Amino acid sequence: MATTNLFDFPPQPYTGEKARLTRAFDYLILVLALFLFIGAFHLHMALTVGDWDFWLDWKDRQWWPLVTPLMAITFPAAVQSVMWTHFRLPLGATLCVSCLLIGMWITRIFAYHYWNYFPINVVLPATLMPSALVLDMILMLSNSLTVTSILGGMSFALLFYPSNWPIFAMFHTSVEYGNAQLTIADVFGFQYIRTGMPEYLRLIERGTLRTYGQYATPLSAFCSALLCTLMYPLWWHLGKWFATIRYVKTI
Amino acid sequence: MAVTTSGHLPAQAEHGQSQLPWYIRDLYKYLLAFAGLTAIYIGLRLYQGAYGVLAGLDSTEPAFQTYWMRLFHVELIFLALVYPALWGYLWLSRDHNLDEIAAKEELTRYFTLTMWISIYTFAVYWAGSYFAEQDNSWHQVAIRDTPFTANHIIVFYFCFPMYILLGGSAWLYARTRLPLYAKQISLPLTLAVLGPFMILVSVGFNEWGHTFWFREEFFAVPLHYGFVAGVWFSLAVGGILLQAVNRMIELLDKIEDMP
Repeated sequence: MATTNLFDFPPQPYTGEKARLTRAFDYLILVLALFLFIGAFHLHMALTVGDWDFWLDWKDRQWWPLVTPLMAITFPAAVQSVMWTHFRLPLGATLCVSCLLIGMWITRIFAYHYWNYFPINVVLPATLMPSALVLDMILMLSNSLTVTSILGGMSFALLFYPSNWPIFAMFHTSVEYGNAQLTIADVFGFQYIRTGMPEYLRLIERGTLRTYGQYATPLSAFCSALLCTLMYPLWWHLGKWFATIRYVKTI
Repeated sequence: MAVTTSGHLPAQAEHGQSQLPWYIRDLYKYLLAFAGLTAIYIGLRLYQGAYGVLAGLDSTEPAFQTYWMRLFHVELIFLALVYPALWGYLWLSRDHNLDEIAAKEELTRYFTLTMWISIYTFAVYWAGSYFAEQDNSWHQVAIRDTPFTANHIIVFYFCFPMYILLGGSAWLYARTRLPLYAKQISLPLTLAVLGPFMILVSVGFNEWGHTFWFREEFFAVPLHYGFVAGVWFSLAVGGILLQAVNRMIELLDKIEDMP
């Protein structure tokens, strides 16, 4: 019988059968969660953020920093509501975003690059890892839905553009092409023909926000920050609702 | 009570012969299922790589009928055989003695249910992550002149039915082998299976929209939101986990600890 002794130094962890059983269950849940969040969160992101994340020439100053954090804070909030409330695990957001990145990278390489020959630079996914780490950290330190909604939601959105800038800045370099000033990302888009995504559908820099010049990006980021503070508690409660433990008589 | 009492499952008698700890007696079956599914999905992707550009760009070509519509029909036959076989097996081999089940046996079945759900989420990965986003990639290079494109034949008509099969199997396993799930219907388990099932139904709206509305492949549009709402229900897996953990804590208190 593996029992802990008061005089053991250092204290020995409990290693009986029940401990091994619960550890085995943890591993099963880890595998389950890995594929669940790759599959579910990736589909959610692909169909709500989709093209802004697929294509280099969609990563603009206006829509991309607005839409991506807003749609990406959803699953992290829902998963945090279960993992933090019930298991005191401050890693819901990091888990979701790690799974998302694994799924996106596999697809970009094998579906876009190897099957249809898009250069990998054209389909690089954005990263949300710094945003997720900070969101988890704020929840852990504050243990407060309100504080995490406000500070965490804002941080999640505001960190998005700066954390991606080192990856994508080089593609925003201006070039002259056909007597017009474009970015390298624009030229990529023109060179690699996409029959399902013609130029007239490209939603970038629409409206008059671009007349603010260099302020377009921070304006979009702060708009996203406001919306994320609202989206976070909404999805926290959605996650809580989905994680019901009710049994019913009929369906 | 959903099931009646007349006999024990054979698995209970066999257990003890394995080298594995009693609570993970189905581990090899679980790993085998992973290996089998991986082989199928990677095989399908290799087939796409071999015959996508060669014969999958134009549905009016005779080669399209040979390489792609034939694959579609093979998938339908496969699914038509596997659905009744697996669900029929789970139902016919149900436990008729759920009132007398021992704590250790029930704990083992919670492990097996978790393995079923894990296999289900593995199928959700291929359907919702890899092949779903690959649809966007393929429709940038192919002529979208049929609902049965070289990627749709895999994602919509194989991957989606496959995860529904496995999700339904997890639901049936719980319903026929675990007392709490047999006495009443688990809401989170039902949500986690039925919600993603609606993604398959959304294929109808998707194809209708792409036929009458627009033919381009713009992913982040309301036409695709049926898929999005369906996948949100997978968050109910958190509820299944909580239900399982609550019951497993009770069961662990009923058994003797071993070194």
